[in-house]
Amino acid sequence: MRIPCPYCGERDVQEFVYRGDASPVRPLGEDGFYEYVYLRRNSAGVMREHWYHAQGCRNWIEVQRNTQTHEILGSVFARRVAL
Amino acid sequence: MAKGLEISECQRFGLATVMLRKNANHAAVGAALQVAAPADPTWVASNELTMIGTGPGMWLALTETPSQHWSATLAERLAGVASVSDQSGGYVIFRIAGSSARTLLQRGAFIDLTPPAFGAGSVATTVIAHIGVIIWQIDDVPTFHVALFRSFAGSFREWLDTASVNLTF
Repeated sequence: MRIPCPYCGERDVQEFVYRGDASPVRPLGEDGFYEYVYLRRNSAGVMREHWYHAQGCRNWIEVQRNTQTHEILGSVFARRVAL
Repeated sequence: MAKGLEISECQRFGLATVMLRKNANHAAVGAALQVAAPADPTWVASNELTMIGTGPGMWLALTETPSQHWSATLAERLAGVASVSDQSGGYVIFRIAGSSARTLLQRGAFIDLTPPAFGAGSVATTVIAHIGVIIWQIDDVPTFHVALFRSFAGSFREWLDTASVNLTF
């Protein structure tokens, strides 16, 4: 599998570290913290996920990927989403 | 050494990482250094200073004519704009040139090193034989420079020698 890095371009998946679902948002208080840390949907289809380009530009990116077909629909820097 | 391939180690250089501060922009780096710091994986050289793009807001600053306080001077010029960390003793830079240079590097790097994907002016931060490398192409000979952590120099040199054994010219 090849992952498109917004800075480096398309790179082999070996250069990246997989982090998982990008959709959970850290809650401000204690409410919802258990769910934030432990509970994940096992999505079949398109999901947003965090990848770290450890052996390239060392940036966190957010990739849209179809978990059924492995088709990759695009990627952006994770901080662009967070800000 | 086989014909069509020249490998040497750059002996004298100054190298420093330059990282953009949170609220600063590329243009301020360019204005401070009088070198337009590239926003993409390319390199730009001017006034004996080369700025090599390694990530968004991240560069390697390289000079082949370092004075004693070179990196401190660089940090002063970039005060408030970017952080500078001297890496001159931390890296080795290999110069790999000749008609077989691209074939050799292509045996290790799993990125496309052929034009137009990669050419003179291009930079790639990637991995060869499990060793993190920064590759930049100097000219169309082609000549490549490869920077890596100094402690990996022996292992990388071993890979170079092994991978270049059966190159044909």
